[in-house]
Amino acid sequence: MSAEELLPKVRTAFQSTFDIDPQTITPDTTPNDVPAWDSMGHVTLASSLEQAFGLTFDVDDLMAMENVREICKVVQSKLDRVQCAPVQ
Amino acid sequence: MHQSNESNFAGCLVQRLGARSCLIEAATGETLPGHDIASRITDFAAGLLSQGLRPRDRILISCSLTAASALAYLGAMYAGLIPVPVDERLLSASAELLLAKSQAKAVWSGKGIHGSRARGGALEIAGLFDVHPIGIFPPAACSGDDLAALMPTSGSTGVPRLVMVSHGNLRANTEAIIQSQGLGSDERAMLIMPVSYCFGASVLHTHLYQGGGVVFDPRFMFPDKVLHAMTRYGCTTFAGVPFVYNMLLRRSNLRSIPLPGLRRFLQAGGALAPEKIREICEIVPTAEFLVMYGQTEATARISCFAAKDAPEKLGSAGRPLHNLELRIADEDGRELPNGEVGEIQVQGPSVCGGYSDEPEPTRRKFRDGWLRTGDFACRDDEGYLWIKGRAGEFVKIRGLRVSLGEVEARVAAMPGVYECAVVGVEHPDAGEAVAIFVVPENETQVLAQEVRRALPPQWTCVSVNVVRQLPRTVDGKIERPQLQMAHE
Repeated sequence: MSAEELLPKVRTAFQSTFDIDPQTITPDTTPNDVPAWDSMGHVTLASSLEQAFGLTFDVDDLMAMENVREICKVVQSKLDRVQCAPVQ
Repeated sequence: MHQSNESNFAGCLVQRLGARSCLIEAATGETLPGHDIASRITDFAAGLLSQGLRPRDRILISCSLTAASALAYLGAMYAGLIPVPVDERLLSASAELLLAKSQAKAVWSGKGIHGSRARGGALEIAGLFDVHPIGIFPPAACSGDDLAALMPTSGSTGVPRLVMVSHGNLRANTEAIIQSQGLGSDERAMLIMPVSYCFGASVLHTHLYQGGGVVFDPRFMFPDKVLHAMTRYGCTTFAGVPFVYNMLLRRSNLRSIPLPGLRRFLQAGGALAPEKIREICEIVPTAEFLVMYGQTEATARISCFAAKDAPEKLGSAGRPLHNLELRIADEDGRELPNGEVGEIQVQGPSVCGGYSDEPEPTRRKFRDGWLRTGDFACRDDEGYLWIKGRAGEFVKIRGLRVSLGEVEARVAAMPGVYECAVVGVEHPDAGEAVAIFVVPENETQVLAQEVRRALPPQWTCVSVNVVRQLPRTVDGKIERPQLQMAHE
């Protein structure tokens, strides 16, 4: 999935988690820009992203998601790993 | 009642600031030493009065995890105004309702209130004042019985009730908490809860009262950052609600980040499974774990349990603070013998004066000199409190009273369960039954059947719902009404 395809899906996850206009979400958006993006919000957001992309994040993934750009990076690297995994 | 400068609680905190006092913002490292805290508080107090505000005027304080909100809250109290600290998210969502309810003359915000929400003639104040009053600016004289703050009740999502907390209440509770936690004069707390939550306020009060410091960190969405900040700034106290400890255990690197200076974990705001407490104690054996039970209506804290003093009592809420009288009573206010479940009622200098402008709820809750907490518990022969649940958080299954909290404790203790919540629902045969919501520790677990099997047969359970997260209030408490709706 390309970066252009990734961002809209990430925005949708933000919209469903924080009930905000997805167009306000840019790669530079941080928790400081979204009042509801606190510790509970972060867990909810991670869940929405896991659901949207069919992924599971570990502790270090959650810790790396400091802004939308980093979120896209984490999602991208996870998706790459899923694609590279050998078929069982 | 005698009026003096010493009775002003904010004035008392300013007076006790010392060489070790500080307020630190962990995200930027900005540090305010003791003498600057004093001048910011007095500047703010003088600034408010220069705006035409008068003692006893109410002022809404928009609280976030910043030193500025703590300073504004204390500055208003110092000036004799009545601060009404409110979580900034709640304030921006319900500004007009909160203005009407508090009858505030002004609204303070660190960032400025967006849009034109603060209407109705209230003055909008953004940021701290930079006025330097000439000479000594003493705190507003008051008596211990005078109103110091209106604290919002937690646990509700709508507009909260406002509890009338006096200067005397604050002092009495602060001193009792300090004694129960053994706080020294070189303490520094990590605060990840705003002062609009009485638990957060109590951490600020106790640490400043002891001449210690407080570190504010709004980054608990990245728990490792907070853990590293605790080491960097030498924090001795960490405080959180059960949600926070679950995050530390499962979504942080608590096991690999050393916390050499930490002396104590404080936990309040609902029950945390004893297994989780044990786990935290094993990971950080150098810090003690203190469970505290309390209510905004009793200023903040009511009882304290130190896991190291009585490991066999793990799961209890401990013993009452030294200056409180506590009884377990039936509906008519008759004290019950040890072992019997009844309502926790407390009396003492930290029991507040009631709710602002709500005579009927005040009469129900504060009666004959006793605060009726609405929490049900029994007391054992050693005086330890065992909380069973809140009024309204019981179900009657085939005539048997079952506490939702007890079911939650049973489920939360199961391996593979990250968190859980239980609600009562109607049942055609049993009258009432429970519906269980479980968040598994990892997605692959099939938990529903195991949870069902772990319940005793008399606890009729209509459903076990495996969910990704539980709905919560801004203070991190579980929102049962929302789960109830989810079930229906």
